[in-house]
Amino acid sequence: MNDRDWARSAREGDEEAFAQLVRRHSGGLHRAVARVLADDSEAWDVVQMAFLKAWQRLDRYDPRYSFSTWIYRIGTNLAIDLLRSRSSRERTHKAGTEHRLRLVGAGEGAGSRAEGHEADRILNQVIEVLTPQQRSAFVLREMQGLETAEVAEVLGCSATTVRNHIFQARKALRREMRRRFPEYAPASERG
Amino acid sequence: MNCNVFREMLDPYIEDSLEEERRRWFRGHLRECSSCRDWALDRDPSLLFAVADAAPADPAPAEACAAAVSAQIRQQRLSKRLHHRRRPWLAAAAAAVVAVSGGLAWRTILGDGGSPGRPEIEAQNESDTATSPPTIEVEMAGDDVRVYQFAADGDDDTAVYFVVNPAMEL
Repeated sequence: MNDRDWARSAREGDEEAFAQLVRRHSGGLHRAVARVLADDSEAWDVVQMAFLKAWQRLDRYDPRYSFSTWIYRIGTNLAIDLLRSRSSRERTHKAGTEHRLRLVGAGEGAGSRAEGHEADRILNQVIEVLTPQQRSAFVLREMQGLETAEVAEVLGCSATTVRNHIFQARKALRREMRRRFPEYAPASERG
Repeated sequence: MNCNVFREMLDPYIEDSLEEERRRWFRGHLRECSSCRDWALDRDPSLLFAVADAAPADPAPAEACAAAVSAQIRQQRLSKRLHHRRRPWLAAAAAAVVAVSGGLAWRTILGDGGSPGRPEIEAQNESDTATSPPTIEVEMAGDDVRVYQFAADGDDDTAVYFVVNPAMEL
């Protein structure tokens, strides 16, 4: 069975079918929401809330569209609401130690895996410079691998707006990374 | 060869003007080739986030999430059922309270020869029952669902407690 079949059964009241959808999509949604919020445990609360909301609104789900996009939309909107409701003090994420070890000589695969973890650690420290919309667009497109049209569907805006959010996000992240992590300054400036 | 192609694709990638297939290839090469990765990060460090892990491999949290969501759905369904059935049940309970208090009042009137104050007390009881219905609270505890019904204001001694089998049709 695919997502649409599970969703159809769930809409008829089949809880187990809905549980299958939760099993299939909660991991990816959690990863996205955790990156947007820069908070791993709070993200699980948002994910649960998103699925509960989806269950209550299954009659509004249009099976012509992907269930994944629909649940990402609900989860991302909840995360954006949460970000907006946080006070500026709470929003300032507890920045850990700001250092980066240049990964050299660890082998191709090992290097990219280690950089994958490094990416999340650094993101948590610099994402605060982005607006909620920029965070969501950047995380979904650049880190979760959604297509621009899907991100536009999730955020309820045009593809052009998504590209603009990502362009601004990249610019802000580039500046912030170079400011806080000298290792990421251009080689010509590192001397 | 691949590295040259990769380097030519850097600007289009950043501008988000690559076709999806070429974009996937670019990201794959960024992940696999350390010299191109260092070259690209030097030009734009935000490319580091393109090599982040896409999805977690551990299924345990997803299973726990599914269990938690299912439990909340069941609780909501139960609460909804109770809510739907609450009014007729309360009406019956209220009617019983009125009947009992009315009977007691009637016996008292007959017993003491009909004091003029007694009917007013009966009327007051009816009024209290109508305006202050008992409150109901539902609590999930393991496999059990506990339903508490608290008596109306001023009656602190009365509390009714049920343990309901969730499988039972209410």
